Amino acid sequence: MSTLIVTEIQKGAIREASYELVAFAQKIGGDYASLVIGSGVGDLATAFAGKGGGKTYVADDASLADYNVDGYNAAIQAAVAASGATTILVSNTPSGWDVAPRVAAALDAGFISDVFNHQDGNFVRRVFNGKLDAQVSAGGGTTVVTVQPGAIAPFEGSADGSTEALSVDTSGARAKFVETKVAEAKGVDLSKAEIIVSGGRGVGDPEKFPEVIQPLADALGGAMGASRPVVDAGWLPHEYQVGSSGQVVTPKLYVACGISGAIQHLVGMKGSNFIVAINKDADAPIFEVAQLGVVGDLFEIVPALTAAITAAKG
Amino acid sequence: MKILVALKQVPHQDARLDVNGDGTWIKEDGIKFEINSYDTYALEEALRIKDAGEAEVVVISIGPDRVTQALRTALGMGADRAVHVNDDALVGSDSLGIAKTLAAIGKEESPDLVFMGLMSDDGNASAVPPMVAELMGLTSATGVLKAELSDGNVRVERELEGGALEVVDLPTPALLAVQSGLNQVRYASLKGIMAAKKKPIDVKTAADLGVADAVGSGGAKVKIEKVYQPPKGDGAELLEGSTDEIVTGLVNKIKELGLL
Repeated sequence: MSTLIVTEIQKGAIREASYELVAFAQKIGGDYASLVIGSGVGDLATAFAGKGGGKTYVADDASLADYNVDGYNAAIQAAVAASGATTILVSNTPSGWDVAPRVAAALDAGFISDVFNHQDGNFVRRVFNGKLDAQVSAGGGTTVVTVQPGAIAPFEGSADGSTEALSVDTSGARAKFVETKVAEAKGVDLSKAEIIVSGGRGVGDPEKFPEVIQPLADALGGAMGASRPVVDAGWLPHEYQVGSSGQVVTPKLYVACGISGAIQHLVGMKGSNFIVAINKDADAPIFEVAQLGVVGDLFEIVPALTAAITAAKG
Repeated sequence: MKILVALKQVPHQDARLDVNGDGTWIKEDGIKFEINSYDTYALEEALRIKDAGEAEVVVISIGPDRVTQALRTALGMGADRAVHVNDDALVGSDSLGIAKTLAAIGKEESPDLVFMGLMSDDGNASAVPPMVAELMGLTSATGVLKAELSDGNVRVERELEGGALEVVDLPTPALLAVQSGLNQVRYASLKGIMAAKKKPIDVKTAADLGVADAVGSGGAKVKIEKVYQPPKGDGAELLEGSTDEIVTGLVNKIKELGLL
């Protein structure tokens, strides 16, 4: 049994999630090797090899300077062949989820995505947008597994390692990287707000945001936010979105109204100092990260709370 | 131009989820189903290309009889015809089995573009679209928030973390797995729904597609051992009582935090 860790470079460094994969490989047990992909990344690979990566293959090629699905697919397959690994670990990031299923299909391998734990020999992941957990077993053959960033503490030690150059044929790559566009400046900067009152799909109607959610935010002297479905539906502009693809916030108080708590939202607000959740569904995952919860109708609770806050402030 | 759209019918997002008897999935009896939310954006993107020029939009789906409803909805929105893989042999398939089935249809159809949703609202795997691309020999992009077609090329913007975007050129044919929110999805018009009744739905089995050995629990390379409610952590302290009592509790807590 042997594992291959596919690392990822972000802003010129091996990202933290790659060290989490080291910890995950150690948790699974058995031998492991690593792969660093990029251009001019020999030093990064050497450093990673000595910080837990073990034997580290280096796919170093000018054509791999920026992520492209076809080139990375070829590099990972080459490393699987060279290492003989039967478990391939990839971080579940935008590049990881782009390429990992292709590797699985090319190798006719099993695929298990976005796992956050390895328990009783099974991989554990969320399904139904966080409402249920599933334990999934790998069959006897090769398995590609993507791991949720932040789910496991990164390996922080040092160990003996070595590097080995890996030759990769990227001549068949069709996808061409053009550029990366950084996020546009936000009209609404939630990152500085001390109090955020956010509404989700449970608010039900775009008109209810100015009528119900904004007044509570105003009464508390805070800002209004929203979850992804609200923005996708066009009820509020993207600048209000809290979550992995929106703004990551850490206010002193976060009030989640009608937000069930899909993982992409939780990633954006779970670092808040204190979280209050108001939701009619007692099983909503938001109650797992909240310190204080109300199972009830937000249209009763929120206006009454707004009135009480306004009265208390006199 | 021919555009293929694969869509999945999933439990309604507000459906009550109870674990089934053997603890490996949910009970499907008596719950409402809908088209997977990401897939509605995929279909809309294909229909916009059709609206802007000339394209045939073919929708494909896998599942039991209830899936006919989802395909009729898609046809009502403007798709031209449908392929429905309706075969109990597919029950228990893993992502790769599903991808092989869709890819078999894809190879028969040879589309210029394939649109799918980034993930499904039930399995949340984000697995099938890149697999289908690999099996069909197409290049692909996931998390697509914008797609611009020009002669033989599609320029896409992929969503990265924190709202950044990656711009990529893909030669067609290509497969795009779309992120939610890239367009505003239309509703089926009454006229569209009436017209959909005359549009063909071609029903196929795994054997028709030559994938019988790759599908079902027998073909699956990974297996769901059990599903269950996530273990409750410390969780939230719940405020109960009348609205007044709850509001008083909330105000007291906000005061305690020094925010009032």
